[in-house]
Amino acid sequence: MASRRSRLELVFDILLAIQNKGGTIKPTHLMYKSNLSHKLLNNYLEELLGKGMVVVQEEPAKKKKKGLKKVVITEKGLNFLAEFRRMREFTDAFGL
Amino acid sequence: MYRLFFTPGWFNGWDIIFDAVGLLITLLIAAYSWRMYRVNGDNKFAYFSFAFLLVGLSFLAKIVTSGILYYTPVRDVAADVLRPVAGQRLELSQLFYRAGFFLQMVTMLGGWLLIFFISQKSRARLRKFHEVTQIALFLYLVLLISVVSNFKYFVFYLTSGVLLGLIVLNYYKNYLNTNRNANAYKVMLSFLFILVGNFFFIFVFLAQSFYVIGELFLLLGFLLLLSTYRKVVRA
Repeated sequence: MASRRSRLELVFDILLAIQNKGGTIKPTHLMYKSNLSHKLLNNYLEELLGKGMVVVQEEPAKKKKKGLKKVVITEKGLNFLAEFRRMREFTDAFGL
Repeated sequence: MYRLFFTPGWFNGWDIIFDAVGLLITLLIAAYSWRMYRVNGDNKFAYFSFAFLLVGLSFLAKIVTSGILYYTPVRDVAADVLRPVAGQRLELSQLFYRAGFFLQMVTMLGGWLLIFFISQKSRARLRKFHEVTQIALFLYLVLLISVVSNFKYFVFYLTSGVLLGLIVLNYYKNYLNTNRNANAYKVMLSFLFILVGNFFFIFVFLAQSFYVIGELFLLLGFLLLLSTYRKVVRA
């Protein structure tokens, strides 16, 4: 059985899902890609917004439809991804 | 003059340079691991940082003690500083050298021991009470071995060799568990070189040149660790 993901791994998975979609993703897609519940994803997104790793952009509404929200990864988020990859490589190399 | 190791005269000074390189590399790895600890708060990074710091301290103790042994001007300065404590005729100078080598041994063995524990794959590692008591027992043995080694130096290198052998085995397992990760292989190879270096140190009493070969292997091991560190940091 796979072990539970740590908080940091969850953040990494969320940011990686956004990066893999070219830096912008719909919240619903992000929920599926990062394999998180709606409530949990919202909690993490709030934290990431607070830390400036992502921003939420709202596209203008078309006709009667509601405006479309999109989550966009920032430079700080991309830096975190790079740092996490280095950390994982360090962990693998030194058997931590 | 108290001397623990019988090194070839022409090599005096070179070993200090080799050890200084080792010291820098251990400090780099300790600092990076500490940074990782600050990022995710996982204790294993703090322990790893402390382990490399201990190995670095050992190098520093060896550099200072050997520097005072090899170079007369440094020895004179040290004698002036120690005279109020050691007496006018420096009767306690042997005690200083023994203390220096003791510090070198206890920190080196402590560092290897901690790396061995960290590289050991186990659930709830270093969290359960019985594992902490095991460490206390090992620490006692490390202290005991360091005291004995002041009289029989090969006890230190033999113990160091055993610990390094176990570390190499752990890193071999880690290499297999990480789908033959190239960096994990290099880390295993680094500790293998350090182990071979230690093996030569054990037999220094047979030929002084073994000390030079041992130092060269040690340097090679630490340079390989540096190369792995650079590759990881630049990933």
